[in-house]
Amino acid sequence: MKMIVTRPQHDVITKYLSVWAEEVINFAKEKGIEVFDLIKEKANKKDFCGRVKKLQPDMIFLNGHGDDDCVTGHDDQEIVKAGDNHNILYGAITYALSCNSGKILGQKVTENKMTTYIGYEDKFIFVSDRNYMRCPIDDPKARPFMEASNQVMISLLKGNKAKDASERSKSKFRDNYIRLLSSSADQDSLQAAQCLWWNMRNQVCLGDLDAELKV
Amino acid sequence: MAGYKNTKKILSDENVRKLVMARLSVLSKDTMISLGSEGSYTREQLMESVKNGDRVGEKLAEIQLEWLRSFKEKVAV
Repeated sequence: MKMIVTRPQHDVITKYLSVWAEEVINFAKEKGIEVFDLIKEKANKKDFCGRVKKLQPDMIFLNGHGDDDCVTGHDDQEIVKAGDNHNILYGAITYALSCNSGKILGQKVTENKMTTYIGYEDKFIFVSDRNYMRCPIDDPKARPFMEASNQVMISLLKGNKAKDASERSKSKFRDNYIRLLSSSADQDSLQAAQCLWWNMRNQVCLGDLDAELKV
Repeated sequence: MAGYKNTKKILSDENVRKLVMARLSVLSKDTMISLGSEGSYTREQLMESVKNGDRVGEKLAEIQLEWLRSFKEKVAV
């Protein structure tokens, strides 16, 4: 079983996504999955497409910025784009932790019925504390967002169906949302709760909803 | 650049602008909000965006209003 991960790290946001993706990578390795980690400059279109063609991975985990029709890698270079190389994702289960790509790219990719795409139809928004920029994994404000997002991959790696993995992630967003909504201890909690709600609402699971990893 | 289509101009409504500003004003000074390729913003920068009615401000207003509407529609959770 093989998984390819892209982890650009050229700004604060991609640094956070990249660091939190390590939790997923470690879990996958524990499960005996072969992980191919395209980090920093390696998160580019040429390396990504080359690896996917050669390895034909079961799972693809894209971290980075995105638009309606694409997901980008290091320095915001496009890695996958609808109408260009979207077919590179055919046959795999992809989770794109990026903004907007569920809107067009996800739809385009899942015209192939053997393909699954989990992503977001609008911006993926998260709250953080600037005192933790050098150590995002310890940032308590980012944790509810990253934990809920990672639940997609963790759940898939446990052998759950794609639709259930997405539902579990949404459930985690929901739990964290309710916890923050009812919290008066933190002055940021209401704003953070709204952002969690936003991400939960915009996460989509497209294509083969019953796809699962045989782990 | 992410595909935020700024066509609605939610912040042209003064009441909405005040509502969003009031919500942001209570954030702690070390809090950042990250909106994808738009970047990460401090409280002061977010309030400036709302004041200017730029894309980041408009997105924050959209989230705020959609969230409030969700209560009305009883689909918040």
